[in-house]
Amino acid sequence: MEAAIRLDEASFDDGDRDAFRLEEILAEVAPLLPEQAPLHAFVHHNPLHAFEHLPFEEATVTAARLFGTEPFQTEEAFARCLENGRLRIRDLETTVEDCETDLDSTLAGGVSRRDFLVARLRHLFPVPSDAALAWMIEETDAVNRFHPLVSQRRREDLLDQARRRFGQIPADAMERRLCRLLWDALRDAAPRKQTHPAGIRPRDQIHEATGIDCDELVHPLLIRLCASFLDQGIAYWQLPGREAGFLAAFRSLYGLPGAPLDRWRRGLDAECRRQQALAWDAEQTVQWALESLGVAPAERRRVVRETLLSLPGWAGMMRQFELHPEQAPVVALPARLADYLAVQLVLDVFAARHARRTAAESPRRESTETAVHGRTPVDLALVYEAFAAAQLVPTDTTTLLDAEGAGAWLATVHAFDAFERRRLLHLAYERRHRVDVLDGLLANEKLLSRCPTPEFQAVFCIDDREESLRRHLEEIHPACETFGFAGFFGVAMVYQGIDDVRGRPLCPVAVKARHLIVERPVEPHLATSYYSARRWRGRLRNAVAVGSKSLVRGGLLTAAAGLASVVPLIGRCLFPRSAERLSHRMRHGRHHGPTTRLAIERAAADGPIDGLYHGYTTAEMADIVAALLRTTGLAEHCSPLVLVFGHGSSSLNNPHEAAHDCGATGGGRGGPNARAFAAMANHAAVRKLLGERGIAIPDRVWFVGAYHNTCDDALTYYDEDLVPAAARTLLGDAQRVLAAACLRDAHERCRRFGTSPLQLDLDEALAHAEAHAVDLAQPRPEYGHATNAVCIVGRRERTRGLFLDRRAFLVSYDPTTDADGSTLANLLLAVGPVGAGINLEYYFSFVDPTGYGCGTKLPHNIVGLFGVMDGHASDLRTGLPWQMVEIHEPVRLLLIVDAEPAVLLRILDAHPGLDRLVRNGWIQLVSWGSAASGSAMRVFAGGGFRDHRPECTDIPVFQQSREFYAGHREHLGCAHLTAAFGAAA
Amino acid sequence: MIQDIHDVLKVLTLSLLIFPAGVAAVLIFVAWFDRARSEATVNALVATGYTATVAAATALLALMASQGVERVVVPLGAWVAVGHYHFDWTLIADHLSVPFALFSSMLVALIGAFSRRYLHLERGYLRFYLLMALFGAGVELVVLAGSLDLVFFAWEIVGLTSALLIAFFNERRRPVEHGFLAFVTYRLCDIGLLGAAVWLHHTVGTSAVTAAPTATTPWASFAVPAGAAATAAGLMLLWAAMGKSAQVPLGGWLPRAMEGPTPSSAIFYGAISIHLGPYLLLRAGSILDHAPMAAAAVTMVGAVTALHATFVGRVQSDIKSALAYASMTQVGLIFVEIGLGCRYFALAHIVGHAAIRSLQILRSPSLLHDHHHLEQAMGAQLPKTGGHLERLVPDRLQPWLYRHALERGYLEGIIKDYALGGFLRLFRRLDALDRAWSRAVAQSGPQAARWSRAGRDAREAS
Repeated sequence: MEAAIRLDEASFDDGDRDAFRLEEILAEVAPLLPEQAPLHAFVHHNPLHAFEHLPFEEATVTAARLFGTEPFQTEEAFARCLENGRLRIRDLETTVEDCETDLDSTLAGGVSRRDFLVARLRHLFPVPSDAALAWMIEETDAVNRFHPLVSQRRREDLLDQARRRFGQIPADAMERRLCRLLWDALRDAAPRKQTHPAGIRPRDQIHEATGIDCDELVHPLLIRLCASFLDQGIAYWQLPGREAGFLAAFRSLYGLPGAPLDRWRRGLDAECRRQQALAWDAEQTVQWALESLGVAPAERRRVVRETLLSLPGWAGMMRQFELHPEQAPVVALPARLADYLAVQLVLDVFAARHARRTAAESPRRESTETAVHGRTPVDLALVYEAFAAAQLVPTDTTTLLDAEGAGAWLATVHAFDAFERRRLLHLAYERRHRVDVLDGLLANEKLLSRCPTPEFQAVFCIDDREESLRRHLEEIHPACETFGFAGFFGVAMVYQGIDDVRGRPLCPVAVKARHLIVERPVEPHLATSYYSARRWRGRLRNAVAVGSKSLVRGGLLTAAAGLASVVPLIGRCLFPRSAERLSHRMRHGRHHGPTTRLAIERAAADGPIDGLYHGYTTAEMADIVAALLRTTGLAEHCSPLVLVFGHGSSSLNNPHEAAHDCGATGGGRGGPNARAFAAMANHAAVRKLLGERGIAIPDRVWFVGAYHNTCDDALTYYDEDLVPAAARTLLGDAQRVLAAACLRDAHERCRRFGTSPLQLDLDEALAHAEAHAVDLAQPRPEYGHATNAVCIVGRRERTRGLFLDRRAFLVSYDPTTDADGSTLANLLLAVGPVGAGINLEYYFSFVDPTGYGCGTKLPHNIVGLFGVMDGHASDLRTGLPWQMVEIHEPVRLLLIVDAEPAVLLRILDAHPGLDRLVRNGWIQLVSWGSAASGSAMRVFAGGGFRDHRPECTDIPVFQQSREFYAGHREHLGCAHLTAAFGAAA
Repeated sequence: MIQDIHDVLKVLTLSLLIFPAGVAAVLIFVAWFDRARSEATVNALVATGYTATVAAATALLALMASQGVERVVVPLGAWVAVGHYHFDWTLIADHLSVPFALFSSMLVALIGAFSRRYLHLERGYLRFYLLMALFGAGVELVVLAGSLDLVFFAWEIVGLTSALLIAFFNERRRPVEHGFLAFVTYRLCDIGLLGAAVWLHHTVGTSAVTAAPTATTPWASFAVPAGAAATAAGLMLLWAAMGKSAQVPLGGWLPRAMEGPTPSSAIFYGAISIHLGPYLLLRAGSILDHAPMAAAAVTMVGAVTALHATFVGRVQSDIKSALAYASMTQVGLIFVEIGLGCRYFALAHIVGHAAIRSLQILRSPSLLHDHHHLEQAMGAQLPKTGGHLERLVPDRLQPWLYRHALERGYLEGIIKDYALGGFLRLFRRLDALDRAWSRAVAQSGPQAARWSRAGRDAREAS
């Protein structure tokens, strides 16, 4: 792994040493920046997307070294897992066996490598750092006594060893003597502590030499400038001249003469004017700045990289605005990463000059440790680690008491460093989860029984949050069948609802929507009065919001009417649900909005307007409908009523609201997609066309689109007035069943909320869920995808009745109708990257909540309507907040596919992108074949599939989910639920 | 009968202080001895304590109004009594302090209830409530204090809790720095308060609230020294109020104070702490009445702050800074009102502003949601703001003015360079001299070393 990192660094500087091409450098460096879009269009992605060409474990460690982040959970967390049984000794042994080589060789202390690794992983102990360690050594008995984790047996063993060496003396003295000798031998043989060389940026060297941090000067100004430049509407007055770009706006603003600027920026105005006069572009400016900073040509790339990574959030956002101007929440801006870099480096030049000047005034700061001792001290942390490990691992400690033995032992311990240990622990941790899930699936399959003929069918998004709703639905009403399909239902559109100011794409990010669908009122003249009243209320609210911040209007408003705010203040603090209801009434009035329809149809001859087709032709609609029906297997047997559920999430106090929406619609809400799909499937001409293609939808079948709000578990049904009389009763029944299922879904979700009692009544669950959605004080509106771990692509009948704890994406796929695997290939191409993106974002935000995630939500401060900062003027924080991921279990996505290994290998060979994800281990692929020989699980590893050997063939059996999860907050394993097959209580 | 009523009123007044202080004391006890600290326990305690405070304040207000009692003075005993000189602690409840006490205890109670959900599972849960309870007690004491000495004591508690809550997330460096900046500003301005107290003792023999209400200051106020001494007292009080209320040029800490959890930002910088400066000036109305120069200075400072903050606030592109400057603008206006003698209007302005601003800060994390819905309601992109600025300000001046606002009036640079910079440079030079001296001593052999040792011994002996 070390070698790979060095290789990477070396290749970085290999470029042409004379020519300076900023574009090339940026193309190489920019992918390291966070790829997070403005928050309103949040889409989950792998934070290490730039490292996907490397195997997962290598990538996490490489990135950890580059960004200073954590690659895996901490040892402390793994130690807790060993304690509570989440991680078992068996997992450690098997993982060592499977992932390490040369296990029978003998190491220092006469222990085999296998025993060393397993024993070291079993006994995780903290190694204190600098001052704490020094205190421990000097003030406690830590180096005179055996480590507290040493077992009684091992203690006897150690005393025996000592007895052989020292003869018969009292046990207590023997323990002290052995410890002291061991400690002294290890300390004498220990290497010197490695000093971390200063970074490559001029700022790092200046910091090292003078103690002045130039970033402290530059960053606040740079952040303020970036925020003002990119602002989408928070500031009352926008940066003048920003249409000309960041660099130009900066120069014209700071090129103005005559202001008492901070001392470090003296001369900046003249420099700006000079560059303006020379009409330098970003490249020339960067080149000048790098030269002024004294950066050698060979180091330019790394300096640029480190410079951009000093404020990764802002640099990344500049790049996002540059790459996707259409994603800007309100106004697109001519942002360029090159401009940003130029401004940062120009400011760096002035800060460096200032630092050198200041340093010249006062003497150089002396480095502490080297100055005192004259040489670097011994690496005591390693000595302590080796000292404790020698006692915990079954070694013969007496062989470690001489210089040679001690040196060898130190090397052995050093080679198995914390990253290596955590890597193996992580693999073992994943193994336990994988084995449990695969065993559960196999055990459940044996218990399946026949279901009644479905009265209606429901198609949901593949989202892990819909797993529980589907399960409860099947439990309440076994005569119903559910399916999972990506939540845009094949309708990749730009959608403009009747309330929307502008259209937004509702399709996966990888797809470019080419159709515009607009929602229109059925009777426009009736809608007018509703909207004009609403507009008046909107204007009033806006006037208060803007006015209250200004001088004169604010004074009059706050003095005269400010006290009225006490009412909403009391409401929001004490009665959040009633307050929201009241506020909703105030905003929307008493009446509902007008009846609307989607303008969905387009004549084949109509061309695109502004690059978008307004509506779909019959043939296009038939394609969309056919794709869903064929993939899910619905085409074979439609029930009289088919419900299609899009989903989304609405919450307050949540800048990351869009992260809870549907990933398949690109972070939008999938209701309109479901509605559009249903309209297409009900369209007579489309059905005729489908009939010609061999998909016969009987006339009595009716599709209804609907929307599931995953935050408050409310359902909305669309176009109910169009439902034919024959299907109305059925729809009414289905709605009642679904409402009951939502209630149970909310109840199951509440078990995770620390603020809801564990013995919550079923009837109160919805109120709790709703309170989470509308409470200004609630940092956890819902837990979103947290705990996601599994994706099952296959027939629902194989997983029906299985409790998956809202942790599995469920994708419907019928291998019996897909002989050549082409349907599967398309599914995996969509599900693989999207699932991995969600899963890995949670993984990294959990293992390093402040490095990859955006830390705790509590101090977050929305900036420019596109991102959040920590409090005042910090870097833009990307990733997920801790409150969203705190209950997550960081395992890579376990993708279980209802297909034979041969089919999967063929698909991987044909699709390099997918192949890369699987082969490099960013997802764990499992083939769940059902050949004549019986059901079997095969896990992809090292280029091929390996049989999974079940460890446990039992599965707990309950009638309903609720009986299983009652009284638990923690993660639960699999269980079989008989109610899903019509078993009565 | 009347005597009984007065006893009841005194007990109620005292309880306004005792309940919050009791809550804080119990929380300190819990924290100190690391007792079981479940969120529910902490919460029940704060909720009970502050509900009782609000109830007591309501009862006090109602009783005083119905019985027509103008003022309740509760003696807490004497600190020093030498001959005819008394240094007494008293609380005073009148129609300035009681509404203020009621309003602030109500806000603390509401934010306490709010934070129960907001800070759920946060590591510093107990610390947050402890600091907030302490703050609440401090505010009640500032409000009810019957003398400037007592105000000073409470003023310190408020300042300390404010700084510690800014630095709440102490695992990051920035909050700690910004908490420290606020703390330093507070300390600097405490000189004014302490100075005023000492000055009043020196000139009129007491800093207690003894002056009877007048037409211009309709509540009891401080005894006024004669002539220029009143101006000096007024200016010192102004200095004290400027720090706490973030007036120009000492307001740089306010936007930086938005580092703590949102509810604490709301209650400190949207609602209560920021308005304590004006409260102090309202209480000191008699002094301002007799020192037109000081009153003019209050007006000036307020006007400059209001203008400064409204310009700077208009270019802030993050919501919490925008709200911080909006607060600063209104507090500046309140200073103007106080300086001009509109005392009741200022009181109404304080209460109205506190209510609206704290709600806005609490709502600030929902900004994206609100923006989206507001756009939908208006059926269009939100109207462009700043148009009249662009119309009124000549084109050539606009970038200049914008930069002025973006640089926050260059105040920080000026203070750093000209006020602090001189000291820093002086100390740096002295430090260099010191080093040069010790090097010279070390190099000149045992003789010199003996001298320097002798010198050190002599220093220690003295």
